[in-house]
Amino acid sequence: MATREAGKKMIMLKSPDGMEFEVEEAVAMESQTIRKMIEDDCADTAILIPNINSKILSRVIEYCNKHVPTTGATGAAASDTVAPAALAEDLKIWDAEFIKVNRATRFNLIQAASYLNIKGLLDLTSQTTIDTISDNSLEEIRSFLSTKNDYLPEEEQTIRRENQWAFQ
Amino acid sequence: MSFRSIVRDVRDGFGSLSRRSFDVTISGLSGLTGHHRGKCQSTVHELRDADLIVQESRWASLPPELLSDVIRRLEASESTWPSRKHVVSCAAVCKAWREMCREIVTSPEFCGKLTFPVSLKQPGPRDGMIQCFIKRDKSKSTYHLYLCLTNAVLVENGKFLLSAKRIRRTTCTEYVISMDAENISRSSSTYIGKLRSNFLGTKFIVYDTQPPYNGAIVPSIGRSSRRFNSKKVSPKVPSGSYNIAQVSYELNVLGTRGPRRMNCIMHSIPASSVEPGGIVPGQPDQIMPRALEDSFRSMSSFSKSSIMDRSTDFSSSRYFSSSRFLSDIAGGAISRDEDGENKERPLVLRNKVPRWHEQLQCWGADPDPGPVAARPGAGAGQDHPAVRQGVQGHVHHGLPLSALGVPGLRNVPEQLRHEAGL
Repeated sequence: MATREAGKKMIMLKSPDGMEFEVEEAVAMESQTIRKMIEDDCADTAILIPNINSKILSRVIEYCNKHVPTTGATGAAASDTVAPAALAEDLKIWDAEFIKVNRATRFNLIQAASYLNIKGLLDLTSQTTIDTISDNSLEEIRSFLSTKNDYLPEEEQTIRRENQWAFQ
Repeated sequence: MSFRSIVRDVRDGFGSLSRRSFDVTISGLSGLTGHHRGKCQSTVHELRDADLIVQESRWASLPPELLSDVIRRLEASESTWPSRKHVVSCAAVCKAWREMCREIVTSPEFCGKLTFPVSLKQPGPRDGMIQCFIKRDKSKSTYHLYLCLTNAVLVENGKFLLSAKRIRRTTCTEYVISMDAENISRSSSTYIGKLRSNFLGTKFIVYDTQPPYNGAIVPSIGRSSRRFNSKKVSPKVPSGSYNIAQVSYELNVLGTRGPRRMNCIMHSIPASSVEPGGIVPGQPDQIMPRALEDSFRSMSSFSKSSIMDRSTDFSSSRYFSSSRFLSDIAGGAISRDEDGENKERPLVLRNKVPRWHEQLQCWGADPDPGPVAARPGAGAGQDHPAVRQGVQGHVHHGLPLSALGVPGLRNVPEQLRHEAGL
């Protein structure tokens, strides 16, 4: 339900487990998917986000709240008093804390970021995944990703050789 | 299907959905947690059990576009060695990731970068070079080929590519080539081929454990191509050892001074591939023979008959056919026959006429003091644009032979003469 509250247009987001989140339109529009729906006038009632549960959705909204441009109507972070560089640094630290979650949550976040098309969050979650890949051995990566090694023994041998070569 | 109708479908339950929309929904829902997750996954199980598909883990079933995005980012951020090894790691995770990596990481011909070991058997970039250097250990008779990571040639700053070990035999010298820095032996699983020189060190033949495309598959492009393609390996060559190139040296006009004239015939690369718009056919997708070929090799070592079966159509060895091709192109760069028959000719690379290098006070084939190792035909037929392009375009086809067997092309004659005891 699009409502007006304190001069800001509000958007209602619903998770499939029945939770409702009322967010500022500007915050919701951090998601390109939601932005398109609003622009296409599909957002007259509450928007149901089909595959993101309330726990993840609330985290996504938290992220969007933090990252919504501070200039303009929202003005929450008082951009006049903080230098842009310091603000960016602050955001970076905040992001680093934000992404310190278990891997199931991280997996859900990357999916949510992709589905909702939130570039910043997608960058953050992808980069974290890349860092994980970069910092760990193959076994650790497989364990982290909970992926099953689905290679045949011969293929596995080829892959081992490739990996060994890469790390020499 | 619009966004809202998906939403409605999810809410209304799964019963009325078509199989197609099931698949669409499942990819998104499998990431849910809490009680919804249980519900959705049981549905996933029902569906997949019916299809006899084993359910993959969640990361493995990451939607392809998302996986592709992550791998693209990784590929872009880890563009140089040693961090590029993470791209190789990524391709080792599971089949889905591997396929995606293979799709995203292009061959060095297009991206100018080495990534997987197979890069060493793929053409180099056409508009640039990949600089390499060799570290030689005389006491162990080993050679290690490295990719230059900086302008300075420093082993600490090199990415190991291939190793070779020299083995003297009564009538020849062999260089066993391996993709492992330490384990250099024919019996190792990292053995990828060898280089054999004659006693004088004037003729070298490069053998690959992997069959060349034109030795294994005969493309149906006319009589002349059949003739060329039917020349496979000599029955005398052990199975799993395919003659893919030959390098020969002759004294130059200066006699024993300066580099010798070098002729390099790449049997598995047609001359046409260096022409503008030409492609290198039959590029392998991995550096080692496939498992099937592997088992064939081990099997055939017990059963000679299987080798003979495979060899019945080998009317003559490639050596003789290449001699004829050699004379065909003698005295010029790649010449073009009017009927276009040169398409089936192997690529021939030659070094430049030697020049006295003032700064280094030596005879050199190339006035550019950069490493010559990875440039098999450095400047062959300098004035012929197609050839110049070709030399750069096939840096990696030449790598094992030029870099490992023939240490540092520019200084080869002295070294080899010395080694041959002349």
